[in-house]
Amino acid sequence: MKAIAVKIFESFLLILAVIVFNFVLIYLAPGDVVDALSGGAFGDGREEINQLIREQMGLDQPFHVQLITYIGNVLTGDFGFSPIGNRPVIEMIAPRIFPTLLLALCALAFAVIIGVTIGSIAARRPTSFFSGGLTVFALIGFAMPVFWTGILLVLVFGVWLDWLPVSGMNNLRLSSSAGFVERALDTARHLVLPTISLGVIFLASYARLSRASMLEVLQSDYIRTARAKGLSEGPVMIKHALRNAVIPIITVLGMEFGVLLSGAILVETVFNWPGLGRLAFEAVLTRDTNVLLAILTMVSATVILANLVTDIAYRLVDPRIRIGDV
Amino acid sequence: MGIGSTQPLLSIRNLTVRFGTFTALDNLSFNLDSGKTTAVVGESGSGKSVTALSVMGLVTLGTRAEIDAGEILFERKDGSTIDLLQCTEREMRSIRGNEISMIFQEPLTSLNPVYTTGDQVMESIQLHQGLTRRSAKDKALEMFEMVRIPRAEKVLTDYPHQLSGGMRQRVMIAMALSCDPKLLIADEPTTALDVTIQAQMLGLMKELQDQTGASVMLITHDMGVVAEVADDIVVMRRSKVVETGNVYDIFEKPEANYTRALLASIPRLGSMTGKSEPELFDLVLEANER
Ligand SMILES: Nc1ncnc2c1ncn2[C@@H]1O[C@H](COP(=O)(O)OP(=O)(O)OP(=O)(O)O)[C@@H](O)[C@H]1O
Ligand SMILES: [Mg+2]
Repeated sequence: MKAIAVKIFESFLLILAVIVFNFVLIYLAPGDVVDALSGGAFGDGREEINQLIREQMGLDQPFHVQLITYIGNVLTGDFGFSPIGNRPVIEMIAPRIFPTLLLALCALAFAVIIGVTIGSIAARRPTSFFSGGLTVFALIGFAMPVFWTGILLVLVFGVWLDWLPVSGMNNLRLSSSAGFVERALDTARHLVLPTISLGVIFLASYARLSRASMLEVLQSDYIRTARAKGLSEGPVMIKHALRNAVIPIITVLGMEFGVLLSGAILVETVFNWPGLGRLAFEAVLTRDTNVLLAILTMVSATVILANLVTDIAYRLVDPRIRIGDV
Repeated sequence: MGIGSTQPLLSIRNLTVRFGTFTALDNLSFNLDSGKTTAVVGESGSGKSVTALSVMGLVTLGTRAEIDAGEILFERKDGSTIDLLQCTEREMRSIRGNEISMIFQEPLTSLNPVYTTGDQVMESIQLHQGLTRRSAKDKALEMFEMVRIPRAEKVLTDYPHQLSGGMRQRVMIAMALSCDPKLLIADEPTTALDVTIQAQMLGLMKELQDQTGASVMLITHDMGVVAEVADDIVVMRRSKVVETGNVYDIFEKPEANYTRALLASIPRLGSMTGKSEPELFDLVLEANER
């Protein structure tokens, strides 16, 4: 438990460091939101207008003052104002968090559940055609750019077969009086294709990883013991082998959460999914630094949080780690 | 092998097992008498473990082993005799861990690291005896006390990594004996343990055998161990049985050159410590055979 408290404290420091780093990065980048805002203005008054805007936004202050003010604000939950959206940043971001997390978690669940199942089946017959094909499949899945898979899925299932919606999170024609269940079902239908195109990048590598991991576990002495007890293959595989085999997968899962979120940005753009990724994309184009910074912070915090969760999950699954520490 | 014995508990007849082109057991035959400890000895690679796994019906699981010929007759708890090689997998599962159980050479890795020792022992008990979790736990505790695990109540909730090698092997023995098997196969149960623990463990096994009346097939390459605990002996070499008989007779008058060589090199208990493999004495043998 003490180890977890230390981890939480470390995570907090890490998030703080990330905020500083992001702030410096964006400060150093050429151009600022003022250029975008006054982009249309020409002639004499231009410099004065820019100056005015800078003063208003505190951009004329020295760097360290800006940084400290910003961190102070963030710590109190204030991410500043977005001149582009003409609203507090938090109001722009808040509604975007849920869709992104929903997409990311669904894609993760899809990849893990299907991947581990495929991998485990392949491990039962390591020399079979299926098992060999898995390597090829993994390579293809890994090599296909996510937007390409996305567009392919849109074409096949959205356009040709016309089975599933390909844009947004809800049907716009869904009546506003629709109940929760109806709305959830509609969202689920919209989720299918984005989930698959994001999940498939990870699916193949998880399948391969769990195949390797399962193969190793199935060779181990305790599996022989389980069989020698008279257990049938079901419990041997699921109770004795799988729990050990997922340990390395949990590690990779935590490490790849960042990759997952960056993949989400692309998928959101392809499927017009109203998440953080699309907002970040727009914020880059308009140099809306406050929004961008807030999203970066949020994403970093999520990745750090994911690592924390991984760590805890790890302890739950593997008693050697749980009981090893004091 | 026992003089004037009735039907043996286990009778292996003309068993041949191959891994691809390699013959791991070549026309192997021997009997195991009820209530006795039969030592199976022989150099590394002679096929001792393959024999044990064949009896358990585990030799073909996850390997490319093929059983070419033979039968393994076993007298069940209910008195009937069956050929283990002709059993369905389902029948075999009801025998494994229940009528024939096995403990392995590697106590450190033979228990599942993610479950408590108690859970693993209770799993066996519940599987074969259909007990509730509650009474399975009582039974597990009783078994732990029987194999003299100190603070048994606490060890039930310990994970394997929290226990020493000797303790883990005791847990394995408790698990193996929990369903009161007729036959216990112990594949080098003490090789991985230190000397003092080895002696304790052999003593314990001997005692438990007297208590439960189980027969023991003790696989070892340590003739010192054989002298100490075995009634009968089966000497194996290069996939074949070289000689079988009563321990006293064989120690007195070994017939095969190989057995003589084995006896000549009796290691003191513990001389194996620190070595992962037993020494081979092929040179001696080749000389003798000439
Ligand atoms: N799964 C397997 N695949 C291929 N060959 C195997 C397999 N298991 C055993 N063998 C071979 O069968 C032969 C007998 O092995 P076995 O494990 O029975 O020897 P052993 O007498 O138990 O030796 P040790 O004293 O070292 O335990 C060895 O030559 C080994 O290489
Ligand atoms: Mg062996």
